[in-house]
Amino acid sequence: MGRKPETTVQSNGRNVIVNKTRPIALTAGATGAFALLFAATPALADTHDTATVSVLHAVPETPVDVYANGEELISDFQPGTLGGPLTLPGGEYDLTVYPAGADPESAEVAISLEDVQIPAGANATVVAHLNAAGAPELTPFVNDTSAVPAGEGRLTVRHVAAAPAVDVRAGGEVVIDGLTNPNEESVTVPAGDVSADVVLAGTDTVAIGPADLTVAEGASTIVYAWGSEEAGYELANQTVEAGASAPSGVPGGSAGLAADEGMPAPLVGLTVAGLAAAAFAGRKYATSRV
Amino acid sequence: MRSSVVVLVLGLVLAIGTPITWALTRPDATAGVTVEQAIDAPPSTPAPSSAAPSPSGAVPPSAPALDLPPVTTRDAAPTVAAPVPAPVRVSLPAQGVDAPLDPVGVAPDGQMELPEDVDRVGWYRFGPVPGDDGSAVLAGHVDDREQGLGALAPLRSTEVGDVVVVTGANGAETRWQVVSREVITKEVLPLDTIFGREGPPRLVLVTCGGPFIPEIRSYRDNVVVVAEPLP
Repeated sequence: MGRKPETTVQSNGRNVIVNKTRPIALTAGATGAFALLFAATPALADTHDTATVSVLHAVPETPVDVYANGEELISDFQPGTLGGPLTLPGGEYDLTVYPAGADPESAEVAISLEDVQIPAGANATVVAHLNAAGAPELTPFVNDTSAVPAGEGRLTVRHVAAAPAVDVRAGGEVVIDGLTNPNEESVTVPAGDVSADVVLAGTDTVAIGPADLTVAEGASTIVYAWGSEEAGYELANQTVEAGASAPSGVPGGSAGLAADEGMPAPLVGLTVAGLAAAAFAGRKYATSRV
Repeated sequence: MRSSVVVLVLGLVLAIGTPITWALTRPDATAGVTVEQAIDAPPSTPAPSSAAPSPSGAVPPSAPALDLPPVTTRDAAPTVAAPVPAPVRVSLPAQGVDAPLDPVGVAPDGQMELPEDVDRVGWYRFGPVPGDDGSAVLAGHVDDREQGLGALAPLRSTEVGDVVVVTGANGAETRWQVVSREVITKEVLPLDTIFGREGPPRLVLVTCGGPFIPEIRSYRDNVVVVAEPLP
């Protein structure tokens, strides 16, 4: 962690267009969940027409069922778990979340998100979480799969907890500051294990962690800060492959002991001797002709 | 007068023939197919069986849905990845190479890191373990001004068909057969191919070679040897 990380800030939801609808109703236990799409066709090999989608359940204490376009996608989805990745046709999806076990015909919707555009080729994670004020929401994030330098990994942090702004520290050093719900920020750091924690912005008051996690080389390691004051705060982790890069070269030696030499000196001597003899004889021959 | 002609001809033969003979009889810089062909080509023999570390955390899919793909869910709590079992030794008996391996990464200048000790060889730990898919890279210094010749100095005389043996962390050996040796100028080294992480398993050995350039205290070229798995 010696190098100062290069920071790139990404706007939330890039490439994903969302029309949020207000939660129609919250059932007694408040809840959240999410959902993601649905795929009618089992054969989804062509990456040009499909998107890769994961779903994270980050609403505390409330198991849910997730429906996409009216069909059940994940049932009894537990808080703190990640579903997917799913390969889905690009397109628009209506996502609906019900309390686990509820009958969608009669139950009231816990969270819904209509007309979520999941473009073909995108890699996205839809997160069911609490907003800063504690109300359940669905937020789609686009996962950055662009290449990182050799030996490094991208650490992305997403604030999806019912909490104010936070700073994120890795190895005790602040790498992301002032992050607010529901935003994300990324840094590129040397790959390896780090101890990460989340503190209230501008303070040393630890809100979550510390937790040990591995920042994988050539990948995006995405950390979610989620939960609420009542239920407690936790971290969740997702790793998405990004492009790996090759080192810039292979060094190799400093002495020249193994160098390819030019022609050995005795052979050079032989060549020179041949030339000298030819020149001498040629001159003598020419002189004798006069 | 006639003797002058004879000396003239003999002298010319000597002057022209010596460099030509030397050039024709020196060892070839390359052997076998090119490095890029060797790494991209399908394996001529099956890959050695090496158990890849299995990712943990997969959980059975949720209840079957008629038209939906199965969705697997897993606990998303942060975890520390299990350490990859690093290989410990490489040998190339035909060339007298037998050296311990150190896991290495990337140096501050962006190049592959190499062990300081020229008797040791580096395994690029961000690439595959030898035997897994992709190109496993082993590299070492060819020499050092104080330590002398390095363990991989004989690499430039490797021949196609030479056997390379890599000893894994658990003592299991994988065996490889050389299919390519090439001397490539560093500026045009096909790094993305040599360090590729996909495709069939390949073992790539790299050191320095070619002329030494005293001004930069470095060699002009890299010697690259590619080996395919033996059953």
